[in-house]
Amino acid sequence: MSLPETTDEILPTSTDEVCAALAENASGEQRAVFPVGGRTALHYGYAPQTPGVALSTHNLHRVIDYPARDMTITVEAGICIDNLADTLKAEGQRLPIDVAQSSRATLGGVLATDTNGARRFGFGTMRDYVIGITAVDAAGKPFHAGGRVVKNVAGYDLCKLMIGSLGTLAVVTEVTLKLKPLPESSTLLWCRFDGWQDLDAALEGLLRSDTRPVAVEALNSEAAHDVVSESRLELPTNGPIACFGFEGTQRETDWQMERLTNELKQANVAELAQVSHEQSESLWFALADFAVTSEEPLTFQAALRPSRTIEFVKLATDAGVSIVAHAGDGVVIGHLPDDVTTLEAAQSVLDPLQQMAARGDGDLIIFDCAEDWKQSIPVFGERMTHWGLMDKIKQQLDPNNLLNPGRFGLPAEAI
Amino acid sequence: MSVDEMTTTSESLPAILDNLREIVGADSVLSSHEQLLVYECDGFVIEKNTPDCVVFPETTEQVVAIVKLCNQHQIPFVPRGAGTSLAGGCLPVGGGVMIALTRMRGIHEVNLRDRYAVVGPGTVNVHLTQHLKGTGFHYAPDPSSQGACTIGGNVATNSGGPHTLKYGVTVNHILGAEVVLPDGEVVQLGGYLAESPGYDLTGLFVGSEGTFGVCTKVIVRLTRDPAAYRTMLGVFETVSDATQSISGIIGAGIIPAALELMDQGIIEAVEAAFGFGFPLDAGAVLLIEVDGLEVAVDNEAKQIVELCEQHGAREVRKADSPQQRDLLWKCRKKAFGAIGRLSPSYCTQDGVVPRTKLPEILKFITESGARHDIRIVNVFHAGDGNIHPILLFDERDSEQVERVLRASDEILNRCIELGGSVTGEHGIGVEKISFMNKLFTAEDLETMESVRIAFNPLGLCSPQKMLPTAGACGMEHIERSHPARKAAL
Repeated sequence: MSLPETTDEILPTSTDEVCAALAENASGEQRAVFPVGGRTALHYGYAPQTPGVALSTHNLHRVIDYPARDMTITVEAGICIDNLADTLKAEGQRLPIDVAQSSRATLGGVLATDTNGARRFGFGTMRDYVIGITAVDAAGKPFHAGGRVVKNVAGYDLCKLMIGSLGTLAVVTEVTLKLKPLPESSTLLWCRFDGWQDLDAALEGLLRSDTRPVAVEALNSEAAHDVVSESRLELPTNGPIACFGFEGTQRETDWQMERLTNELKQANVAELAQVSHEQSESLWFALADFAVTSEEPLTFQAALRPSRTIEFVKLATDAGVSIVAHAGDGVVIGHLPDDVTTLEAAQSVLDPLQQMAARGDGDLIIFDCAEDWKQSIPVFGERMTHWGLMDKIKQQLDPNNLLNPGRFGLPAEAI
Repeated sequence: MSVDEMTTTSESLPAILDNLREIVGADSVLSSHEQLLVYECDGFVIEKNTPDCVVFPETTEQVVAIVKLCNQHQIPFVPRGAGTSLAGGCLPVGGGVMIALTRMRGIHEVNLRDRYAVVGPGTVNVHLTQHLKGTGFHYAPDPSSQGACTIGGNVATNSGGPHTLKYGVTVNHILGAEVVLPDGEVVQLGGYLAESPGYDLTGLFVGSEGTFGVCTKVIVRLTRDPAAYRTMLGVFETVSDATQSISGIIGAGIIPAALELMDQGIIEAVEAAFGFGFPLDAGAVLLIEVDGLEVAVDNEAKQIVELCEQHGAREVRKADSPQQRDLLWKCRKKAFGAIGRLSPSYCTQDGVVPRTKLPEILKFITESGARHDIRIVNVFHAGDGNIHPILLFDERDSEQVERVLRASDEILNRCIELGGSVTGEHGIGVEKISFMNKLFTAEDLETMESVRIAFNPLGLCSPQKMLPTAGACGMEHIERSHPARKAAL
């Protein structure tokens, strides 16, 4: 938890009340405001250095409009992901984003942190689904962007700006989403390889595969052990693991499972296990929940070229890091081992990983670690040329730096 | 800064022409009246204004030098690709320097394993398609103008096209961009990778219609080719039967790759032009394409045929050979070229409604045409609810022109009332700037304006586009008077 301990909380029940609360604060005390949803990602970014008030979306959980035939939904941002999924399921639809702790995580929080998971390979991320927003700026001014139709280029796409902005620009109160149909069947192929080289060759072979997986994951033994025990399935965990997901009609998933099985047998796979539709939900769930941090000393996410991912995973594995990689997209989640108890030890693990990520045009960002370590380990990696622009946008939308001040460590957020 | 202050180019022009020639070479600067005529408008020909000069940079460094020079002299500048924009996105309001990016057309890198390509902004969309042929990968957005339009222009307008229903629009396929900001600074937004920390400025930049800077390099995402297609033509007695079928198909959880509607009026013109064998007495046809695994497409196609028949289709034909598929798509993508057979001039609109409101908006369009005595035909992206009513008229008759404008406004206003938008893919540009305060509140526009200021504080880059407030002096005073030929996506 990285909000100051004395933080009190306001719980507005409508966009109007959010406006009123923020306007009153802006024209009065000018306290820092920390927007919170399910409080599952408060550790992300730099902790606020100043006391303030938490603005909770807990009471903003209504479904505003669900024209299911149009395959869009407008909801309040505080709706929790499981409730949203249940509502959509009743109409045979879904938002195909994998979210950890989905019973607590809210849509607004998922949007603010740009949460995603294994199926991003097939379905993309929040930026591909948010088509409209209502938000309130630090001064209490409400604004909208986008709309309720699936195709719309009127005005600047402020939806994109809000996604991943960690609540530093405005409080999102309502969201309109584009939806997908629920698939008839969802299955996974869990594959053990004797070595990383064989696994990487199999991933490269996917370029020519007749199949079209929606998820391409790579796990080391440590991570595989955690994920498998969480899923309560019987799957091999000893050795590099690749896991491929398929979704569609049963005919499509059956055909692809068999096809890829045959293709992988040509590619030196050591062991194969098919996870059926009935079992798949618990494995998807376990894969998503891997990103959740609990007792680990440090959790990071690295972005790399897909072609460099396994090289990185191997290096991290040798350093004892537990790894799940969305290998098709080059996104790697890692937990440092428990025996890393000092900043120096953490840095000695991270330094070579950060360097390798940077060599592949990538970066490594810290999801969670002890707050005092963040003074020495750059949370958002090496600054890139667009940080200056981010700073200017922050200054424009929140000139008094009231919303989540310091979260990104931008100059405009200096207190 | 007001327009009057900005249009000071005539005084500083001779001096900067010499500077521009130093930057790009004398052959790469156009400044005579005759040369500039071509650049007085894009696909939106209602408003015209010539730039003071057109420059053709070939490198990012040259673009930087041009932009810095414009800043030094406080001269407005506007980037331009192939000029196929349908909303006046590259209209040089206030004159100034037009930066034509058509010579920056290299395909710098194609990386299949990492699923991206790096291209110059002037790369023609279809050239990238051709370049990738045979690799098993493609760049998904395929606007109907893809034979001419550039990737940089697609980025500026967030272009769509017929395959957006399943694959999304341009922004869903852009990983990063190199941008020369309005003050001449070069920034890299996004990159080669799926993730980059911080705000999604790539997503914000796409669709900003040239008001956030000049894009000098684009990193696009590549998509695996589908293993198989099935392309069908559903023939319906009425437009209403066709739109009901669309709701039926999507309601059944099938997302076709494309779902395009042509009504009787356009069928007649397309048949005369291409001789595909369309039934001339049909009320409407649906061009439906499913793609995916060979094992799946037949089943999907069969379901679609059944759904169409349930909703009263007279017949559903299949395009069995690749040649037939190509011809069918040619008929759709070149439909606008066939309209010359129907009338001397036409005006295409670009409204959006929720998909289930299609029957209602199409009925309204018919009524609006009757009310204003203007013939209107329809060819559009039905699956997305993105309508393109084509208003037919003779621009030599000013009274007809008035009626066309009234009917257009009425249709777009109705789209807003039905919960939709006034543009699905063509952009706001200058054409639809007066609709912005109907779609958005003053607060919405203020917030958008503040974001523009972060990128473009002086308003020199693409002044008076997109926002009614842009550049202080309102574009709302521009009278639209000559709707005329416009091709459409």
